[in-house]
Amino acid sequence: MNSRALPAILVLAALALIVVAPLVSLIRLGSLPGYAPGDLEFWRSAYIRRVLGFSLWQALLSTLCSVLPAILVARAFALQPGFPARALILRLFALPLVVPAVVAVMGVVSVYGSDGWLPLGRSLYGLGGILLAHVFFNLPLAVRLLLPHWQAIPERHWQLAAQLGMNGWQRFRQLEWPALREGLPGVLLLVFMLCLTSFAVVLTLGGGPRSTTLEVAIYQSLRFDFEPVRAVVLALLQLTLCMLVAGLALRLQRMPEVEIAVDTAPSNFAAKRQPLQLILILGASLFVAMPLISILIDSLNGPWAGVFVNTALWRAVGNSLLIGVSAALVAVTAGWFLLHYSASLAVQGRSTRARLIEMAGSIVYVVPPLVVGTGLFVLLSPHVDVFDWVFALVITVNALMGLPFVMRALGPAMRQNHAAYDHLCQSLALTGWNRFRYLEWPLLRRPLGLASALVAALAMGDLGVIALFGTPDKATLTLLIYQQLGAYLIAEATVTALFLLILCLGLFWALETLIGGRRHA
Amino acid sequence: MLDIEALEFSYDADGDALMRFDLDVADGEVLSLIGPSGSGKSTLLNLIAGFHRASGGQIRLDGQAIESLPPAQRPVSIVFQQHNLFPHLDVYTNVALGIDPALKLTPAQTDSVKQALDSLGLGGLQRRKPGGLSGGQRQRVALARVLVRRRKILLLDEAFAALGPAQRSEMIELVKTLVRDNAMCALLVSHQPQDALLASERTAFVFEGRIAALETTADLLERSPLAAVREYLGSA
Repeated sequence: MNSRALPAILVLAALALIVVAPLVSLIRLGSLPGYAPGDLEFWRSAYIRRVLGFSLWQALLSTLCSVLPAILVARAFALQPGFPARALILRLFALPLVVPAVVAVMGVVSVYGSDGWLPLGRSLYGLGGILLAHVFFNLPLAVRLLLPHWQAIPERHWQLAAQLGMNGWQRFRQLEWPALREGLPGVLLLVFMLCLTSFAVVLTLGGGPRSTTLEVAIYQSLRFDFEPVRAVVLALLQLTLCMLVAGLALRLQRMPEVEIAVDTAPSNFAAKRQPLQLILILGASLFVAMPLISILIDSLNGPWAGVFVNTALWRAVGNSLLIGVSAALVAVTAGWFLLHYSASLAVQGRSTRARLIEMAGSIVYVVPPLVVGTGLFVLLSPHVDVFDWVFALVITVNALMGLPFVMRALGPAMRQNHAAYDHLCQSLALTGWNRFRYLEWPLLRRPLGLASALVAALAMGDLGVIALFGTPDKATLTLLIYQQLGAYLIAEATVTALFLLILCLGLFWALETLIGGRRHA
Repeated sequence: MLDIEALEFSYDADGDALMRFDLDVADGEVLSLIGPSGSGKSTLLNLIAGFHRASGGQIRLDGQAIESLPPAQRPVSIVFQQHNLFPHLDVYTNVALGIDPALKLTPAQTDSVKQALDSLGLGGLQRRKPGGLSGGQRQRVALARVLVRRRKILLLDEAFAALGPAQRSEMIELVKTLVRDNAMCALLVSHQPQDALLASERTAFVFEGRIAALETTADLLERSPLAAVREYLGSA
């Protein structure tokens, strides 16, 4: 076994332990009498049907409401390459990726709630609010995923279309649609999956009897109803749904990569300014920016002094930072070893094995974090007090959640690095520390910085696993906000939310700069 | 002398499409390898360098078998068409890595790096990054590293393919001098028959994983009776 294989195999074994062992315990518990997946009584219960139906319905609606407008906005971006502040707006569209869900929800309520700037009806709590929050997260994501398809259209094709005198519709049919068609099913599936497994949004804006999803129902079964077996069956149901979607994506081979850094370079196509396209870009930008601006404005008049003297806040800050930085460290280390081995296998022509190793790093797409969390709860609770292990569990599951981002951010650079220099390094005996120091660190530190920053920010903003395992004295900032909202301390929650947002963005910037360094010439 | 005998390799696990090479290269000789794409030229270089494991046969240098050695321990230097230099390291460091990957050089080794750079006309460019060099200069830096490594076998895998005709001729002359002065055994893979004419007394024609012909370059290019050679050269 070579020196690259051993760490990767250890990571794979750890992944198997963290994902498979809890799953096995879930399946064992889920087949107890009265709760067996084959037990018709259980499936006939109105509760299960309602939860399942609502999970699918809100995911479907959220997907359509996010992706269909995103097509128009992405097209507007593609056809208006000279739009002022285009790059800035596309960066703004990356923000929802690192904005904690609970912060975004507060922003959405602040803008569109009954007392908001643009009130949409009496209450946002329920399907309407969930849809709005999901669109806030997924519309910009879909725009960033779809835009490269327009940018991939060769300049010569645009010129040819102009020479042939094609009108807008003909151009869309002959040039744009064929390019878009390639990526659209994958984007639809990805957004559907994200909405299906969305937790914090549904917990804060739904959660009532009429608007509960499987994820929230699992949480409620474990933390409020003390029905672990029901949580297990719900978790298995959620797992089955995710596997179906992932299976479909794999069959289509069209699940897009969650692009972290989209190429913001405009295409060479120079179009006339069209008012409708400009309105679309401005409208979408306002839609993304307004909730964040409203949090800022609302918190300016908030009880800052009261919030800051609260020791619970500083304890939560410490806990959040610990979880964010530790999860990033674990995810980046695990991802590094997996990618290092997989890239070396690819250089040797063993591409199937290389691909399988990379896919293992993205297992969380198939097994949702809350399912892993539930499994760990079931697996460990007979042996230890899981609430004593809250940080270890939350860090582990958040690292698992961040691993796909590490694979995406670091993978292409690592593969390119190996393909270009592996033979030269072998020939020069440049291995181990020397290889890291002279080759990998200088060339890979930027994607490494980006991956670390992203995982840390995501882990800091997570309200999934911490809600499952957290206790008042071991709360993170997200859990503290949730507790403040539950106690109707809205002003305090708004201040804490802004503080969390600043911390998340600050940590993102700090890690990206410290690790990533300056761009090489 | 480099002696390759019944060296076997297959990309398929079941051993189909087996390649088998027999070849020898004298001290001070640059032997050219020509042949169509996918015929096995680069595979042969990868086998000699140790990047691929042969399933059978022998590679001997001056009578010593080297086929079981890992790449770094083989007496081999290799120059690729691109990616010979690390883009973030300067010229001096790129060459010095050839002596010690930990870059802990003795004063004598530091001098040898400088001498190698001077001898290849790169004396003033030590602190330049590869991005600031021309294609020809970059390949000279790679050759400077070959010089300081003092390995007897030199493999050139389309090393000059990206250069213009004048620079290619110049580099080939440089290689010939280097190989002759240091009694090295060099193998030059090229798609340009002109390169073989310039570089080598003898040239091998590689076809379907075999050395299909090994003759003087002039005979191979002008009078080969093999249909595959004529087809390759476009003189069928």
